[in-house]
Amino acid sequence: MFRFAGRYLKQRELVEEAAQEVFLKAFTELDKYEGRGSLEGWLTRITTNTCLNMLRSSRRRPELTVSDLTQDENTWLESKMLDTANERHQSNERSLVAADLAGRVLDTLSADDRLVLTLIDGEEATVNDVVELTGWSQSKVKVQAFRARRRMRQAVEKLLAGKDETQ
Amino acid sequence: MQEGVKSNHIISLLEDRPLGRLSESELATVKAHVAQCAGCLRAYRASEVSTLLLKEHVAREFEPSHFFATRVLARVREQQAAKEGWAFARLWRATGALVSSMAASVAVLAVLTLVIPSESGTQQAAGSVAGLYSVEEVLAQESFQESELTDAQVFNALYGSPGDSEDSDGIPR
Repeated sequence: MFRFAGRYLKQRELVEEAAQEVFLKAFTELDKYEGRGSLEGWLTRITTNTCLNMLRSSRRRPELTVSDLTQDENTWLESKMLDTANERHQSNERSLVAADLAGRVLDTLSADDRLVLTLIDGEEATVNDVVELTGWSQSKVKVQAFRARRRMRQAVEKLLAGKDETQ
Repeated sequence: MQEGVKSNHIISLLEDRPLGRLSESELATVKAHVAQCAGCLRAYRASEVSTLLLKEHVAREFEPSHFFATRVLARVREQQAAKEGWAFARLWRATGALVSSMAASVAVLAVLTLVIPSESGTQQAAGSVAGLYSVEEVLAQESFQESELTDAQVFNALYGSPGDSEDSDGIPR
């Protein structure tokens, strides 16, 4: 549950808050669990809905520009621009920088965009997995993923263009 | 083949699926295209970076803090206490309605028992006092008819039977 909430929410405090909510909901609504699916799946659905509600209620950043990036994030982006995009970077420190940067870029997207990108592009979930988790229709998931991917790409493209200009 | 590839631009293909799910032939097409198209190259590089960012984002693990379980249990207890408090309040409201209806019934009964009989008692008392002085009322109460009355009956009605109130000499006092 913690791991799952951590994919949607950036800060540890928020992850803990979400996990608490999920535990409470599971505890108070255990009688609604009909035993048709796995308990894990039921908890995952509660976690997804809780995180989605938290993301929807949180404020969205209007836009992320190169000037908002930290030195480490700038360095990470530069390394990607040096045609090393396919290289999986090794150090934990760089992974954390990338994760932070990812969180900042995702902050500029809507809650639904974040959810669908995290699940499909990040977790490699299928469209049907997302349908089951969210209760959305298959076409909504596909359209949402398509548009979210475009918005994420555009946000990153803008950052890369900003880096090009500063170099 | 995808529409994006047919139209010689690969952007819609990049947006249709995650990069990792493109087939070998699609990837080859994309790479061949971006070698000639600067706009698509920018989009492709941005897609690559996006994919990496998302992978790093989901790879980050959070562990619960030491007091997490304690906090959750405390909140569960709070919620239970609130639920019990609410149940007690509901019970209290239901009991309150019952008690107030019972109190109203008792009040109505008290009025019926105390006020109304005392009013009729007052009327009776007033009638009996008046009877000492009004022959007509006394006679009416005793259901006598004037035509049938003798003097003795009138005296009896006014002063009681001779046996009850006479002294040994037979003189009414």
